[in-house]
Amino acid sequence: SSQLSSLPLQILLYVNGVYYIFYFLATLAMIIYKSQVFSYPDDFLAPDLAVLFLMAILEMPRLYLGFKGNLTEAEAPLGLSLGLTVGSVGLCVYLLLWQTYVLRADVVLNAVLLAAYGLESGLKVMAIATFVS
Amino acid sequence: VAKLCVCDLLVAQCDVNCCCDPDCSAEDYSLFTTCSVPVVTGDSNLCSQKAAVYSLDVEANPPERIFKLIDQVNPSIFCIHATNYKQALYLKSPEMPTPENFDRLLDKFGGASFSAEPDSWNLDTDAQNPPDVNETYRYEYGVPVQTEDAFLRLPSLVVSSWCSDENPAGFLVNQATKCIRSVSVEKCDSIQALSMLFYINSSILAVPKSSQMVNITVQSIVVQSLNGMRNLLHDSDVLRLPMVLDELCINVVLGVNYHITYTDTGEIIEAAAAFVLGAISKEALSIEQSFEISFTQENTEAVPLSGNPGYVVGLPVRAGFRPQGYPFPAGFLFAALALSSNKHSQLTILQSTSTQDCLAAQGARAPVLFGYNMISGCKLRITAATKCQPLAQTLLDVLKGQSFPEYVASFGNSQVQDVLDWVPITQLHISEQRISNTLQSSCQIPVSLGIEVKWTKYGSLVNPQARIVNVTATITTTTLKQLPSGRERIIPVTSSVVFTDISSPAEPGYKVWPTINIKLPFDFFYPFV
Repeated sequence: SSQLSSLPLQILLYVNGVYYIFYFLATLAMIIYKSQVFSYPDDFLAPDLAVLFLMAILEMPRLYLGFKGNLTEAEAPLGLSLGLTVGSVGLCVYLLLWQTYVLRADVVLNAVLLAAYGLESGLKVMAIATFVS
Repeated sequence: VAKLCVCDLLVAQCDVNCCCDPDCSAEDYSLFTTCSVPVVTGDSNLCSQKAAVYSLDVEANPPERIFKLIDQVNPSIFCIHATNYKQALYLKSPEMPTPENFDRLLDKFGGASFSAEPDSWNLDTDAQNPPDVNETYRYEYGVPVQTEDAFLRLPSLVVSSWCSDENPAGFLVNQATKCIRSVSVEKCDSIQALSMLFYINSSILAVPKSSQMVNITVQSIVVQSLNGMRNLLHDSDVLRLPMVLDELCINVVLGVNYHITYTDTGEIIEAAAAFVLGAISKEALSIEQSFEISFTQENTEAVPLSGNPGYVVGLPVRAGFRPQGYPFPAGFLFAALALSSNKHSQLTILQSTSTQDCLAAQGARAPVLFGYNMISGCKLRITAATKCQPLAQTLLDVLKGQSFPEYVASFGNSQVQDVLDWVPITQLHISEQRISNTLQSSCQIPVSLGIEVKWTKYGSLVNPQARIVNVTATITTTTLKQLPSGRERIIPVTSSVVFTDISSPAEPGYKVWPTINIKLPFDFFYPFV
């Protein structure tokens, strides 16, 4: 009862960080592959790349705030991280459904990431509830 | 997918061994041996797609065709699960002509040829960035010569023999083209490509993207009549435009010859055009136009080289003189006389004529072409009244020509200033008479000139260049015996050129294979050794 920080959330955040690096490199490599093998005009390539990089930019503060909030048992950073997670989920759904070419590997990677986000969000809500009370 | 059939080529008939052909009936299927098209699918990159599988069941009697529509799954992890881009996997379909876009499509695709990117032809100076002050433009080899509106055009044939006006003239690319243009006498003054103005209208830019203009001047006008005779007009300042006269259309451009002068910094300073104007008659439906463009550097004369650097077989042997008054040792310049483009001031030999009379043949000479052994001659009629001395001099002129050169270029591209690149012509005199008839003051007349050119192969083994090493001109003279009056004699006079290859056999020398030079230091095994 002395420790309010959630261990599963911490583990999940750490794994998420590692997985995200792999996810980013794999998705970028696949976009390059698609642009060489299929017809990928610039009008369609630009939004896909923009979404990918935006997601990377969002991920860093999201994970940092999550770590900080969980370890310092403060709700505010955790709440902010939850908000950023919602944005990341939206971008992930775009890459899963509305990308120009969705390969089977894309589906797998994005599905795993979405599952991780979902689980994280659940754990964050429980942690906030613990900290508040 | 079920409706696609690649082997269905005959309409309303059954194609043999085509299992997907809808025109075939069950009896036709029973006669097939195999299915030429077993599977019809869409793009194989998709993760799951419908496939139509056709096969023949040979066990059953009679054989039947089996048609199955299955879902084909692509096992690769990089198969396309979905696309949000409609044209992703299809070829671009061309625009359907509608009343609105018909004119635009006709402009673009209506001609005999159309370029893939028509916008690149227009110099849109507003859209481009203004050139930096420090950056100087200049023409490079092959770059199209730019004019005010577009490019200097050299009409030539593109796909068929008809003239296309979109062929730009490249800088320093000497071209000569011929093409056919369709004409009609009634509209001859409205067809732009038949008037002189079309070819000299726009001025040439001195350097690309600059505002300095060079006007195209009319150098000369040659008028060709209907039967092909050409006359040079003396007043070439007047612009002659085509006009209809008595069922003929005159002043029609039949040929243009552009001469462009440039500096060595890639700038065009002068442009001149020489025209050939002709007339077309009422029945003519097309005329042949010929165009030529040549580039010369300023302050130089155009000198055709006979090889670069070695002589090319068939090109004239270049020769020259030493101008009078120059001291003998090295450092003298040759006269430019022999280096003009006039073939007849080079090494020439007598050219046989149909009359075969030496005295009447003065003037006709043929250039000596490298590698071609030539022999020519004429016949000399001697009567009792012929005087010896003038005859000897005349024959010498006939054999050697008016200006027999003193030096011959060693290489095909020898420059006048490089003294050591020129080989002097050795002149020998041989007299045919026997030694017993001594050297009386009896008259000797030259009867034959033999030029022997010794050449060698020079340079690398795979690309040897021909180089002239020695030229010897041998004049053989014979005594002119006095004839009794009334008798005549005919003496043959010959001149010949022989090219002899004196190259020594080549010894191929190959470089040694490179070796790895590793030497251990002296004390490598210290302290054991």
